[in-house]
Amino acid sequence: MMPPGAVLSLEKVERTYGENRALAGVSFTVHRGEAVALLGPNGAGKTTTFRLLTGLVPPSAGSLEVFGLDPFTQRSHALSHVGAVVGSPGTLPYLKVSDLLEHVGRVRGLPRAQVLGEVKRAAGEMGVSAHLGRALGSLSTGQERRVLLSAALVGDPEVLLLDEPTLGLDPVARADLRGLLKDLVHQGHTLLLSTHLIEDVGPLCSRVLFLKNGRLEGDEPVTSPPDGAIRLRLRFRIEVPEEALRLTLRPWGIAPSPVGPGYVDLSIPGGEGAQVEVLRALVASGAPLLEAERLQDDLTQRYLERIGREEE
Amino acid sequence: MTSPSPSWSGFSASLRWEVIRWVRSRRVFLLAVPVVAGPVGSLLAFLYLKVASSDTAGLLGVLVVGALSGLVVLDLCALSIGEELSRRSHGPLLLLPVRRSALYAGRATAVLGATLGAYGIGALEVLELAHLLVPGSGSQVLALEPVHVALGMLAFLFLLGAVAFVAALVTGSASEALGLGVLAGFSVSVLLVYLLLERALTLAVPAGLAVAGAATLLLGLRTYVRMDVGGS
Repeated sequence: MMPPGAVLSLEKVERTYGENRALAGVSFTVHRGEAVALLGPNGAGKTTTFRLLTGLVPPSAGSLEVFGLDPFTQRSHALSHVGAVVGSPGTLPYLKVSDLLEHVGRVRGLPRAQVLGEVKRAAGEMGVSAHLGRALGSLSTGQERRVLLSAALVGDPEVLLLDEPTLGLDPVARADLRGLLKDLVHQGHTLLLSTHLIEDVGPLCSRVLFLKNGRLEGDEPVTSPPDGAIRLRLRFRIEVPEEALRLTLRPWGIAPSPVGPGYVDLSIPGGEGAQVEVLRALVASGAPLLEAERLQDDLTQRYLERIGREEE
Repeated sequence: MTSPSPSWSGFSASLRWEVIRWVRSRRVFLLAVPVVAGPVGSLLAFLYLKVASSDTAGLLGVLVVGALSGLVVLDLCALSIGEELSRRSHGPLLLLPVRRSALYAGRATAVLGATLGAYGIGALEVLELAHLLVPGSGSQVLALEPVHVALGMLAFLFLLGAVAFVAALVTGSASEALGLGVLAGFSVSVLLVYLLLERALTLAVPAGLAVAGAATLLLGLRTYVRMDVGGS
């Protein structure tokens, strides 16, 4: 029985694959409107949790519910308000983006008249409207990932289960995608996100579940520091004149600090949105980025305490 | 928000999906092979071999169309779900709230219906051509009626397609499925020749082939319903 307001619930769930125990007695609940991160190293059991929640595999022991239903035995009803991306799916390169999204709309049983509108809305949410007529094989990794997320959004599902949505993306594409996901959370979607990247968690989620070797090592609020406290430290090789760099950064009041011949450091304050804006301007100016480091926050410290360093 | 998709939506969307994939990948032109190349090839065979009777011509034509159709059936059936599994593009579809049996039925209906339909048209064309172009009845009595062979070939191709379709599901590879389909085709052909020589090629044989094809498809449904999307 799920607690009131809960949409996802796992109770002492275990899952074994032969001799390998992927999940060992995991329990947690996700409530309507929450954005929760499942954080852990590779092999922690994150994808297994998603496979269980999407009814792809049954639990070996324990019970889980999605909207009060067993997702394995009552898949089509349990997942009717769920959009999910699990694992690292590929695409058929000769299909158009719109082909995939329209197909998802049709399989979801949307009335024919609504399918096109819904496809445009879902593509718009992920910023891929301009690519609807393009072949999937012509997209970059980041664009393809956004198309797959759009496919999960067709039908406007209430709950989103996203397994490593930013995996394999470059820093700018990752930040862009985080921004888009943040918008979805603000719109009221319930989000369960798995990641092994700490920087994905703070901007998006209010609660974090630490998973290690199939065990839940922590279930706590993210309590991200205020935006102003997160700083992004970048190191650039100056191929453009330093003065040009100063001019580029003037609107944000950021001054480059020389750290050696031909190199400068930048420390960018503010939230992720502001930092992405500065990064974009810098990339557009042609300044080659050598290093980027987000200064360690409380969450990183907690991750190290709960998960440790011996991952992989 | 969407409610659970009725099975019909899943079936029809799945059927349409197969057709869209043929169109976008240009594989749709393969369906023209039995319809166009079959009769043309048969015609050349009638003329080159100077076939004397319309029944012999019809039999020859059905065999030519059947052989060409076999290639198309194997190719499209192996590539149906097999291509998606090879490219790991099946995940988003398997996560949708719909009965997988409806998706499976849509795919199988599209690919087997279209390829066997193309064979059927090609076979009708050659039988008609045989009557039009080779009017003589000849003195030889054939062991098999051309129409019976045409119907038997339909059962044979159905089994071949079902084997390739399901082999792709089981192996997760279109190329392996193609290989297994060819092997199945060869084995069944040897059996059919043996039965013909033993004069045991009765109507029960094509019926048996069709039943075996249906059983293979049911086996594939079992696999598809339980299929995972992979990942760590």
